[in-house]
Amino acid sequence: MNTSLVGRAVQSVNAPVRQLAQLLLERDGPYGQTFENLILALIVLSLVSVGLETLSGLPAWATLVLKVGEIVVVAVFSFEYLLRIVAAPRKLAFVFSFYGLVDLLAIAPFYFAGLDTRYLRALRVLRVLRVLKLQRRVLENIVAERTRELAERNSALMQAQAQLKAELDIARALQIAILPSKFPAKSGCDGAARMVPASTMGGDFYDFIELPDGQVGLVMADVSGKGVPAAFFMAVARTSLRELAMHHAEPAACLARTNDVLCTQNPMELFVSVFYGVFDPATGALRYANGGHNPPYVRRADGSIEVLSGAGGLVLGVMPGVEYQSLTAQLRAGDRLVSYTDGVTEAFNHVDEAYGEERLIAEVQAHGDGSAEALVERIFRSLTIFSGTVPQSDDITLTVLTWHRPNLGEVPLAGLQTPSVPAAGQ
Amino acid sequence: MNVRLESLSLTTIVMPEGRLDYGAAAGFQAQVEQLLAGAGTKLAGVIIDCAGLDYVSSAGLRVFLLAARASQRAGLSFAICALKPAVREVFDLSGFSRVIVVYADRAAALAHTPQGPV
Repeated sequence: MNTSLVGRAVQSVNAPVRQLAQLLLERDGPYGQTFENLILALIVLSLVSVGLETLSGLPAWATLVLKVGEIVVVAVFSFEYLLRIVAAPRKLAFVFSFYGLVDLLAIAPFYFAGLDTRYLRALRVLRVLRVLKLQRRVLENIVAERTRELAERNSALMQAQAQLKAELDIARALQIAILPSKFPAKSGCDGAARMVPASTMGGDFYDFIELPDGQVGLVMADVSGKGVPAAFFMAVARTSLRELAMHHAEPAACLARTNDVLCTQNPMELFVSVFYGVFDPATGALRYANGGHNPPYVRRADGSIEVLSGAGGLVLGVMPGVEYQSLTAQLRAGDRLVSYTDGVTEAFNHVDEAYGEERLIAEVQAHGDGSAEALVERIFRSLTIFSGTVPQSDDITLTVLTWHRPNLGEVPLAGLQTPSVPAAGQ
Repeated sequence: MNVRLESLSLTTIVMPEGRLDYGAAAGFQAQVEQLLAGAGTKLAGVIIDCAGLDYVSSAGLRVFLLAARASQRAGLSFAICALKPAVREVFDLSGFSRVIVVYADRAAALAHTPQGPV
């Protein structure tokens, strides 16, 4: 009966007391900081009074003030001590903890009247430890909080970066994927191509376009600059050229219209060099136009090299209304057409020397007898050996077309008679 | 790449030196834009003297094109001069020498630059 009454009393008192403890004892609470400063001030005050009491010949009023002060200090400390016991989740553990004992020692001497408790009261200095400990804990909390924030931001940044990289990787893969992986199956000719972009998204592209009349459109192009803008411009250029090639049999007209389209869709003021050829697999005739691109080579069956004339047309995207020139070259059985971007000739080695046209021509001359794929492979291997560990600074793109007279049984005679091939030399 | 500027009475001469490749293009572009933005009314022309330019890539060519256009918008005359053979080849191959005036040397460029506001 008695115990249950006490229990109920404790129960009913517990909640408000806990609230009070929260208000006063927790540093982050509304009065925590004030209460802590008060305790600190009282500790200092009581230490001073212990010192003063040792002086002899104090006036009576001073002794009285010290006594009253001692009572106030002990009252506040006792109140705080009880509050801490109530607030502690494990009360016995608190009472016997280091700080619990220090708090008790700070007030206990007062209750043992008659003893000379001055030296024991000096132990109150130990109470300062609690404040210092609190302050250290607060500092540690702040540091931990900042560290956590930094780690969070860091991880968010890394996540964003990883996402960006993943998206760029996808874009780069898409860019390569839209390029044809195979040369159109045509009797009498064979083609191979490779584009290796530099570390960022590039602006090189090549294309093999199956034209309505059985001919094949050959594109080799290089957008000025790199990165996402160049890649977008490349996609627009490729799509426009592919579309217009279906409607313009003349390479020069096709380039001129593509240029006009690009000039209207060019916010970044980029431009693209384009070699565009229309090859007739039945006759070996190549009609082409060149908008500012490195002129391709024709490797004759005997190993000699000819450079396709007619370079120097304006790159596409600079100004509308530019006219281009259509030219003609005749491939003979066993000839190869090698087109490339300047990423090939301007690959550098460790002594800052460019791969150059001489090396490219030498490779084409010496190793051009095999398949188109074999020659592409050969040139890329030579480039890799030349560059060594020097990182690739530009996209490297190369296509090879080999022509051997088609099987006579398959040649449509009309193909040979088609007057679509302009006279050689223009 | 290093860029030096020389101011004559009405003409600023820009002298890029070294290699104008993709990596150098953005910096060169910013310098040229800054020059043209601060041109004011005292300037009549800009000449890019390429005597010290060893190499230009397509990204570098683009800066010449942008500079030519910006000069035109600002009402300034614009010329390029003293191309080394390797740079000249890039200008010829890309067709740029058809749309941007290229002089053999600085004297020829200056002779064709108006001596008063245009």
